[in-house]
Amino acid sequence: MRPEAPRAAEPPDKWEVQLRKGCLELAILAALWDGKLYGLEILRRLESDSDLIVSEGTVYPLLSRLKALELVRSEWVESDAGHPRKYYALTGAGKRRVQVMAGMWERFSSSMGKLLAPLARGK
Amino acid sequence: MAAIESKHDDAKRDEAKKMIEAYLGRLRRLLSGVNQQGAGEIIEELHSHILERVEASGDGTSSSVATILAALGSPDELANEYLTDNLLARAEASRSPLQILKSLFRWASLSVVGFFVLAISVLGYFLGAVFIMVAALKPFHPQAAGLWLLGNGAGDAEISLRLGFGGVPTEGRDLLGWWVVPVGLLAGCAVVVLTTRLALWCTRLYRRSRLLPRS
Repeated sequence: MRPEAPRAAEPPDKWEVQLRKGCLELAILAALWDGKLYGLEILRRLESDSDLIVSEGTVYPLLSRLKALELVRSEWVESDAGHPRKYYALTGAGKRRVQVMAGMWERFSSSMGKLLAPLARGK
Repeated sequence: MAAIESKHDDAKRDEAKKMIEAYLGRLRRLLSGVNQQGAGEIIEELHSHILERVEASGDGTSSSVATILAALGSPDELANEYLTDNLLARAEASRSPLQILKSLFRWASLSVVGFFVLAISVLGYFLGAVFIMVAALKPFHPQAAGLWLLGNGAGDAEISLRLGFGGVPTEGRDLLGWWVVPVGLLAGCAVVVLTTRLALWCTRLYRRSRLLPRS
């Protein structure tokens, strides 16, 4: 048995990378639940609230995909920083979708929790 | 001394600016398959991201810019992520066989399913094109072009769509005569439309499936 907590020097676990990637869409949609955010704000929200360290290069194309699926819409807003920012907000379909996904996530994580309970007791 | 230092800083900032321009320039070239407005928006959004990161770091030197660009990934990786989605989305929007084939080529390079959809679509468009060409060439080769029932005298017969370039067959019968013009046009268009529908349907399924985690 290998120790569970990976050390910082170890390359990221492949399974963990896939797991994070799979959750990324739900995480982005959920980050937009409270209102519109621009790309970098979404990235920061993911980092601060969820510890979901994601590659920045995957978030922007994913946002563009979510937009193509009409789950989010975008608008350019002038900022004090001197360059416009592209803000994203959930559409009606996006709101419904993220609720459905959140429900699926709850069910999935509670059944996984039951399955993993013996491991936690064994510690 | 201060003047020299500030000049040095300016040079560093120029270098950093050039790095950003080179990065975005390469991305723009790689995104040439995307429509111009779409590519422009992608570049502008990423430019805004980079500028904001640079401001937040409070350090406009080339090494800090290099870190920021590395965090975004290479232009090639980024373009690849954008292009796949964009081509599929454009195929759905345009419904032009050329655009569909272009996106199917890309899909075929990614998966076996994509390859089969491409193969079937190419076959469909080819068949459609042959029907239409027979109809179009009938006025130029009135004796030879058409849908022929070719016999070889031994009772075996085969049906052949002939464009009329090979001359008039010695045995056999032109089944449709001049009717091949409307029939060929209609059948050709029907096959092209059906192929387009099928390809778009497959593309849509694939795009939806991309929402699931990719392995």
